Amino acid sequence: MFNKIKGNFNTQTWVLIPIAIAINIAVGQIVVLLKLPVYLDSIGTVLVAVLCGPWAGALTGALTNIIWGLAIDPNALPWWPVAFFIGYMAGRMAQWGFFKSWWKVAVTGFVVALTAAVVSTPIAVYIYGGITASGSSFITAYLLQTGQGIWQAVFSTGFLVEPVDKITTAMIAFAIILGLPKRTVGGYPKPEQVEVEGGSKNELYIALGVVVLLILIAAFVLRGILGG
Amino acid sequence: MPERLSFHIKRDSALHHLNPLTKLLLVLTLILTAFLAPFYWTPHILAVLFIPLLSMLGKVGREYFSTAIRLILPAATFLFAMQAFFQPVGEEIIFEFYFLDITRESFLFAFSNAMRIVVMVSAFTIFLLTTHPSELMSDLTRRGLPGQFAYVIISTLQILPQMQAKAQTIISAQRSRGLETEGGFFKRAGALVPLIGPLVFGSLVEVEERAIAIEARGFTSKHVKTSLHEIPDTSTDKLLRWFLTALILASIGLRIWLS
Repeated sequence: MFNKIKGNFNTQTWVLIPIAIAINIAVGQIVVLLKLPVYLDSIGTVLVAVLCGPWAGALTGALTNIIWGLAIDPNALPWWPVAFFIGYMAGRMAQWGFFKSWWKVAVTGFVVALTAAVVSTPIAVYIYGGITASGSSFITAYLLQTGQGIWQAVFSTGFLVEPVDKITTAMIAFAIILGLPKRTVGGYPKPEQVEVEGGSKNELYIALGVVVLLILIAAFVLRGILGG
Repeated sequence: MPERLSFHIKRDSALHHLNPLTKLLLVLTLILTAFLAPFYWTPHILAVLFIPLLSMLGKVGREYFSTAIRLILPAATFLFAMQAFFQPVGEEIIFEFYFLDITRESFLFAFSNAMRIVVMVSAFTIFLLTTHPSELMSDLTRRGLPGQFAYVIISTLQILPQMQAKAQTIISAQRSRGLETEGGFFKRAGALVPLIGPLVFGSLVEVEERAIAIEARGFTSKHVKTSLHEIPDTSTDKLLRWFLTALILASIGLRIWLS
């Protein structure tokens, strides 16, 4: 176990982590400036997770929220476990070979989103009583008004908001890795995890199909949670 | 744009002379008591009385109040409003505005919750105002924190302002080439790639060079490194730490006992 964690960290990992944290925060702020309805504040975390391993990704995520919370927006602080598990899950998915083509990356994004929704629910409920300072709480408030229980309402909100954000995040991270020179990628602990698989011309169409399928599954599950 | 992200203000006060670990434990104690103590008034007394006094003691009162008004108060007010309106508890309505209403229970809940957040953030603010980041890191390294962690924290604080400045430059440069960052949704979404592309690739290129540079300076060396600055750790510090630990245990105990 300990050696496995250690295997995530070489000198290049330690140098990448601060840069990844800065990328998370800087890109998050650019997205706010462009007024896009996503966060995209974990691109750096996902990059570290797939290039170096789940534990390095988890560390990057947690530190991002802690530094963000202390230096810029205090409301980011309580969410560090969410960022931790985003990094961890992205790293695990990459380990299982799910970061080698566009549609697999979409699946990774979806799984990461699910993890984020699950982990953020107890934090939102216990620390904020369900209503947080983020804009998506309007959805939660609406669901509560319609008579949903607090756990269902908070979890469904996360389930509605996260997938779009995390699938986009994973795809941007993949695009960045595709653009990096092979030599640079080779210096990180796990370069074999991002070796791109045989390039079929229909790659992007398959990816789009997978995304649509995932959204359908999400809608189906949501209906289940909310009771029809 | 500051060279490094740091709130530290160099003053000569009792709080500045405390060991960084003691101060960190003080922050933890404040947060845990605010969240755990079973008395309704605990977070309020901490936020309104104790923390301002603490900032006076650290001679950073003025800086603390300006941060509180600029940063903490808006965040807390927003949270308070969201929770007061949307928390679905309570029957007795005390305020109505179209379809929005505030009940007595949701008002009290939102107020104490906002106060807890105020305590949490203010405690950290005072900590950051009176402690230099490198002081904290060298003290923790001396106590056994791996040097790599210290590197990550300190260099993030250095890189972050540089990165934000770089982002600003890229935004201006792309705008001057005619990139539209306002307008319809697809225009704004399309602007994302030309903005984050240069930023991300530009910074990832540096990684390898930096790694070689710090490797050459003994980054992964296992030998004990000497430090230029000695950070004092007096017997008062040790006593205070025992006291704070006792306080944390007491508030956890009270919580379990009374509920």
